[in-house]
Amino acid sequence: MKGVALVTGAGRGLGPILATFLAGQGHKIVITARTFTELHDVAQSLESTGVTVVAIPGDITDPVHRTRLLQQTRAIGGLSLLVNNASDLGEIPRPELALASLQRFRLTLETNLVAPIALIQESLPQLEQSRGLVVNISSDASQGGYEHWGIYGSSKAALDLASKTLAAELKPRHISVVSVDPGDMRTRMHQDAFPGEDISDRPLPEVTLPFWAWLVSQNPERITGMRYHAQGTLWEIPA
Amino acid sequence: MMSTPEDDTHHAFTDLPWLLEPGDLLVVNESATLPASLSATCRIGKIRLNLSTRFADDLWLAEPRWSPSRPGPLPLDLNEILQIGDAKAILLQQYPGIPRLWFTHFDTPASVLMAKHGEPIHYSYAPAYPMSDYQTLFSHFPGSAEMPSAARPITPHVRDTLRERGIGIVGVILHTGVSSLEIEDDTVEQQALYPEIFRVPEATANAVNATHARGGRVIAVGTTVVRALETAWTPNGVRACSGATGLYIHPGTTVNVIDGLLTGLHDPVTSHLAMLSAIAGLGRVKRAYAEAIRNKYLWHEFGDSHLLWRQIAN
Repeated sequence: MKGVALVTGAGRGLGPILATFLAGQGHKIVITARTFTELHDVAQSLESTGVTVVAIPGDITDPVHRTRLLQQTRAIGGLSLLVNNASDLGEIPRPELALASLQRFRLTLETNLVAPIALIQESLPQLEQSRGLVVNISSDASQGGYEHWGIYGSSKAALDLASKTLAAELKPRHISVVSVDPGDMRTRMHQDAFPGEDISDRPLPEVTLPFWAWLVSQNPERITGMRYHAQGTLWEIPA
Repeated sequence: MMSTPEDDTHHAFTDLPWLLEPGDLLVVNESATLPASLSATCRIGKIRLNLSTRFADDLWLAEPRWSPSRPGPLPLDLNEILQIGDAKAILLQQYPGIPRLWFTHFDTPASVLMAKHGEPIHYSYAPAYPMSDYQTLFSHFPGSAEMPSAARPITPHVRDTLRERGIGIVGVILHTGVSSLEIEDDTVEQQALYPEIFRVPEATANAVNATHARGGRVIAVGTTVVRALETAWTPNGVRACSGATGLYIHPGTTVNVIDGLLTGLHDPVTSHLAMLSAIAGLGRVKRAYAEAIRNKYLWHEFGDSHLLWRQIAN
């Protein structure tokens, strides 16, 4: 009944939580992450739900890896939900933009901006077939202008704009695109962003489950082009 | 009972049209109540599954209980399978911050299960009445787990009298989830609130804004209506709006839209009561509730009504 979901960055943090939730609802799942051991553990836990799970470790900036992922989604029924969740924080500690390594910046852009768009481009035939939904994971850093957040923030700001543009461009093909700011969560990435700080006051990524339950239950074409705050108080369906 | 900044006065519900002024506007919740309580069996025996919040026909937030009068917690596992008639439901995850509620996935549309096996959700303080007793004159759109009950005493006669007096009635939709009164947290600040599906139609937004422009008052019929209207508020007035709202109105929240609230009497330490305090101030709510207790008012959805005016008149 349910379609095929591809979740990137599924090794830790938000990714496995979302993949597990989707699997529980009967989605077939393709997951990927760079760290083999983490991905393997997530895949084992997902398989216990009885759904089809394909786990392929690799880097989404690698075109060969992307091709493999999308061959798998096609093989198990065709992609209907693409969650571009894998993200690169960039240099740690986070530098000022004026002093940042441009070479490292390019790598962040490759992971956070170019690779998600590449995955969308390459999965268009499958998404068109399924009238599918693309979810690009964003961040409040994309709008904040916070000091030391320029690298990550600008990559996510660009991804937000890409989401909105793609939503407009792909509407005639019934492919929908939304951007989701999950909010602060107690994840490894968040800890990396605040090295040495106590982040135990941040909620676990499970805090976003109500939002995902809501989002995947919507008609994608009614919400395309929206940007949501998963921990916000209003998830609106535009008129 | 009607509470103003000055005092609390006692009235029959049929006095309502004369407690309001021509030009005032009542906003009612047009959500109808579902037979959302299902009997289920599972590893630990026979239990009750109260459906709370619909995400999709096969995905709900639901509360497993021992029985209508006996809440959990139940010793349930992740991915626990529940049998409901011939259908199966699986408990996927607990709601973050509200562990008694589970995201529940059904292999059969829950609407089918409710039609076949459902009965109204009820608690220890009242028996299960026929389903029709859980609807109001304005129950047009099925979706609520528990009756949005504030409009229940509005009979056709009261409605017609209101209209003849020049008091408007318009609707919003907000599908209520379970309240499960007996296991609320100790303080309102601790309470996690789950979102509810709502819609403020264009015509209602316009009517609210026109009422305020004329100097009339907007009276929410029920706390659900407050939640919907305040969610739809902007500095330029109320706008048409739909989706899911998690807005929690508690002391310290500014109430922007409504001038009055017609509601029932709520248990202490509920989110409803927190909202009342945001509207009228804690002191005035305490005064009114002491008065209600002295006069043996009846609580809950089949009880008495309370018209509360806002703390600061605009």
